[in-house]
Amino acid sequence: MTKGVKLLIGAVIVIFAAAVVFAIIGSKPSDSTWVDIVQNNKVIYHLDLSEEKDRTFKIDYPDGGWNEVQIKDGHISIINADCPDHTCIKTGELRSESIPIVCLPHKLVIRFSDEGAGE
Amino acid sequence: MIKKMFALSTVLSGILLISGCSQKKEASDINMTSQTRDVFAMDTFMNMKAYGQNADIALSEAEKRILQLEEELSVTNETSDIWKIDHSDGKSVEVSDDTAIIINKAIEMGDKTGGALDITLSPVLKEWGFTTGDHKVPDEQTLKRLLENVDYSKVNIDGDTVSLPEDVEIDLGALAKGYTGDEIMKSMADNGISSAIVSLGGNVQALGTKPDGSNWKVAVRDPFAPDTDMCIIEIADKAVITSGNYERYFTADDGSVYWHILDPADGYPADNGLVSVTVIGDCGLDCDALSTALFVAGYDGARKLLKSDPSFDLILVSDDHRIYYTEGIADCFTNISSMEAEVISLD
Repeated sequence: MTKGVKLLIGAVIVIFAAAVVFAIIGSKPSDSTWVDIVQNNKVIYHLDLSEEKDRTFKIDYPDGGWNEVQIKDGHISIINADCPDHTCIKTGELRSESIPIVCLPHKLVIRFSDEGAGE
Repeated sequence: MIKKMFALSTVLSGILLISGCSQKKEASDINMTSQTRDVFAMDTFMNMKAYGQNADIALSEAEKRILQLEEELSVTNETSDIWKIDHSDGKSVEVSDDTAIIINKAIEMGDKTGGALDITLSPVLKEWGFTTGDHKVPDEQTLKRLLENVDYSKVNIDGDTVSLPEDVEIDLGALAKGYTGDEIMKSMADNGISSAIVSLGGNVQALGTKPDGSNWKVAVRDPFAPDTDMCIIEIADKAVITSGNYERYFTADDGSVYWHILDPADGYPADNGLVSVTVIGDCGLDCDALSTALFVAGYDGARKLLKSDPSFDLILVSDDHRIYYTEGIADCFTNISSMEAEVISLD
């Protein structure tokens, strides 16, 4: 094997490895830490959970009613509300991009935001 | 040897370039404007996303169509077609084309599944409190009496004219969202949209592919942990519709759990071995009707139907924590749960 062939093989391996790494990094969806809290199609909070301090806050629904949102250790959930079915509380922490936290009576939605969602 | 190596390196560099190009294309497509819209209708959270310059108008038109369908199909709205039919005292009622299409489909699917789908279960669902939220376990006698009027073949439809015997009531809840998905897709296409995805209370329907030409990734919920996803499937131009026992249920005083999909045979929650049925196909209405019917029919019923009509795909979850899916989606199905998944054998 000449030096030229060895170099060529080396170059091919490097290029191929780079292509593989590039393909893997390029296609892997990154986990978003950005969430939107949306009330009747209006984004009222746009938060980066990785930056937010632990806290709870109340969101009032203009037509009456409220939901209490908790941010804890980079996770968001609704922990209390005056709606009848409490579906929003039962959903627990927001985990999936396809399963938002929803309070139907108060038209409130908490979901991962497009920014940084990777999809 | 050197020539071969050179050829190989050229090919591999080509692959690199191609993947580089596709990355670039994707980046420019991400800039294609998309708009989303939440709609709170049909007792469900609906979310629509459309791409393209006309997205905002298309979403508004789709929203109008949803609200129109809600008015026609609601069980509780006194001006709806369904209210008129259910309070017709045996007289004929004129209904919208939408209502007529859905009723005809319901009868067709009832026939196709040996009565596993029955739109005349409405009084039984009411007795269980699934339509009112006032849940209770009916006593045997009441159930028996109510079941006497459960028979979809008593629904007469001729064009847009519907008649029912007195004491028979219908509810199109098992089909309405599927039909709504189809109509949203039509409305979007009419408004020049070629790339859109909607979720109607967890039922997903897609128009075309994503703007970059890749398939949409749709997650299906884990029926044993409904706040997490069980599997991902990749689709384009399809509906993905799930009926699960986790969607609406209540726990009785004795600790038993009762869910909203009832078996027309005995009026009790259908308990034939499946806890979740996902139907994937071109038509949302068909998929919605089938997901309910096959939940009732169970694994064997689903297999039987697949043999006679292989035009759709299924993901079934059994009560012993196993996933079964059809061969047709094997290439675009990714199991992300701890359950074992296997292809449904039709042999």
